[in-house]
Amino acid sequence: MRGLAILLGGLTLTTAAFAADDPIAVRQALMDNNGAAAALAGAVMKDELAYSPVIGKAVIEALSATAHAYGSFFPEGSNDPARTHASPKIWEDPAAFQAALDKYSADAAAARQASGKDGPADKAAFAAAVQPVLGNCKSCHEDFRLQD
Amino acid sequence: MRRLLGWLIIALLGGGVFWLLTLPRGLAPADLAALPAGDAARGEAVFWIGGCASCHAAAKAKGEERLKLGGGQVLKTDFGDFVVPNISNDPADGIGAWTTADLANAMLRGVSPDGRHYYPAFPYASYIRMQPADVADLRAFLATLPAVAGRAPDHDLRFPFGFRRGLGLWKLAFLSDAPAVDLGEQGPAVSRGQYLVEGPGHCGECHTPRNFGGALDTSLWLAGAPAAEGEGRIPNITGGAGGIGDWSAADIVYFFETGFLPDFDSVGGSMVAVQENLAMIAGEDRQAIAAYLKAVPPHDTPRP
Repeated sequence: MRGLAILLGGLTLTTAAFAADDPIAVRQALMDNNGAAAALAGAVMKDELAYSPVIGKAVIEALSATAHAYGSFFPEGSNDPARTHASPKIWEDPAAFQAALDKYSADAAAARQASGKDGPADKAAFAAAVQPVLGNCKSCHEDFRLQD
Repeated sequence: MRRLLGWLIIALLGGGVFWLLTLPRGLAPADLAALPAGDAARGEAVFWIGGCASCHAAAKAKGEERLKLGGGQVLKTDFGDFVVPNISNDPADGIGAWTTADLANAMLRGVSPDGRHYYPAFPYASYIRMQPADVADLRAFLATLPAVAGRAPDHDLRFPFGFRRGLGLWKLAFLSDAPAVDLGEQGPAVSRGQYLVEGPGHCGECHTPRNFGGALDTSLWLAGAPAAEGEGRIPNITGGAGGIGDWSAADIVYFFETGFLPDFDSVGGSMVAVQENLAMIAGEDRQAIAAYLKAVPPHDTPRP
């Protein structure tokens, strides 16, 4: 139960703690938030955690909130290689990056729609709703994140 | 005059020795005769572990598109640009007319049907460790895939790498079917994993640093390496510092299935296509690869 509390705590957006002039820190916190949401989804998929609709709702809302905000934190010049693995392609081909963001947003909106007010009713409904959203992790990282 | 004749003879002898040493040699006739008839269903598993689609299909192909092996991707390396050929079932532009023996000579010896050396960008330096029966099965599976018309352009390599015959010397120096690491007897899962990783999976081709001659440095097997193309580094997948010593075997298997790391970061870059191939192989084979990765000697990530 304590583990669950820690995981859910990780879902809380903490961007306010970062100065507005540090977009790298903000976007990395948003990705950490997504990682925690994916971990919670993974724990359910692996049956390490019993499913409850509130878990499904928390995961989907967290992924959706990041989708709304994420693209706003990549200004020109925020690519210091000592701090970020963001690929230069983000700035070289902004249309392609925007298309990836739009796909993520659309998938997150569809999951939120399916989730409803109370969250997906059971594990199968949760998996069906969230997996298309989680597929965006690797499709975006395939193109727009440098290795290691 | 006599001295000139002497030099001429030495030059001719030298040329003759070079010609002999660099002669492209396929498998022995007895080995070719012993190739079994292939089974396409088994060959599909070889196709996924072999990663054929990652280079020979279109870049970032998904789903059924991964079965259209028309080539054309360009691998930009320090040696120049390697253009991936068409290995679809088209008899003229692809390899539809190849026999099992042709595919075995290509994959196990790096020799083309017309008797030329292939560049080791085609990872026959790993495939040489494969069982001939697996190649026969792969031949049968490839014959079930669609024909794609069109030939890819030639490689565009820096001097002197465009001189193909010289690869004969590279093979003499570096091509070997010996295991990359000696693990002793650790049971069937580790042995199977060793076969899959060091042979068809050719994991070391990216995850192991290369020596002065461009061959894999097995003293740092799987310790991570600079990406051969583009920026960044390929990760250390041994148990040493900077590697994956804190991943359990179950973590490794889950990564192959889903693309999520134990900290729920996601797979990225060129590993996305590899992970999607590994998601297609048998569950026991994913477990065998994990068992092998837990058994290889740990190395700390080498830093330049």
